[in-house]
Amino acid sequence: MSAVAGSLPTVDGEAIEAIAQDFFATMVDGEHGVLVPGYGEMAPLVDARFTWVDVHGETVTRVLVAVGRSTGDMLTRALLALPDDAPIGDADFADAAGEVVNVIGGNIKSLVHGGGALSLPQVADAAPDCGGAPLISETWFTWRGAPLTLTLWNLPEHAGSAGRP
Amino acid sequence: MKVIVADDSRVMRQIVIRTLRQAGYDWWDIEEAEHGADALERVRATRPDFVLSDWNMPEMTGIELLRTMRAEGDETPFAFVTSEGSPQMREQAAAAGALFLIAKPFTADTFRETIDPFIA
Repeated sequence: MSAVAGSLPTVDGEAIEAIAQDFFATMVDGEHGVLVPGYGEMAPLVDARFTWVDVHGETVTRVLVAVGRSTGDMLTRALLALPDDAPIGDADFADAAGEVVNVIGGNIKSLVHGGGALSLPQVADAAPDCGGAPLISETWFTWRGAPLTLTLWNLPEHAGSAGRP
Repeated sequence: MKVIVADDSRVMRQIVIRTLRQAGYDWWDIEEAEHGADALERVRATRPDFVLSDWNMPEMTGIELLRTMRAEGDETPFAFVTSEGSPQMREQAAAAGALFLIAKPFTADTFRETIDPFIA
């Protein structure tokens, strides 16, 4: 399910869904239909982890993915083509989670007016401080039965992690 | 053929290398670099035949790596595999001397169709 605010910088919610689904179909699952938009009330994230990039343009758009750690471990195994029972360390988890938001954020950049430099991905076990910034898009999915959220936040100019030229 | 794959993500390097193998480039001798500065050292030391690099990396970005190589007179064929594929970035890449830019996400077919014309 996707919602886009009206009085803030607008982004195409369906395009955002498509970007996430294309990434998962191409590089994670090898087929479409595994990452699907969620409807109704989302199940809570268990042991949530957060990963984000900032798109610097006329303002700063933060692209934030949240996922439960065990789901993130499954995602890491899928990206690294590891067996289902392979242990996943924190470094590999952070690397994989960061790449998920890096690729999704890089593609979302084309939807953001004046999209410029993209920051390096950040990963944390708590939601980042968005300084009260307004939410401009919220989408949640289920992947292999577990929830995953994708949100965009409109940060003030000069906020967020530094972008690279 | 000696190839350097530069990306600050080990996960993405593994995906790129796995996809190159799936695309039929299993005969390439691939060396990994963790960022642009690491790649530059390896280029200077080993003189590869081809460099495939991410754009957005710490220490030295991919475009800085390419520009540094060209400024040093190094004309090693160079291409990008990056999460952003805007027209502006493609123009910057081409102007700096890159052969092509593959935007993530990609498939083995994408690699084959893009790389084959340049690596005959």
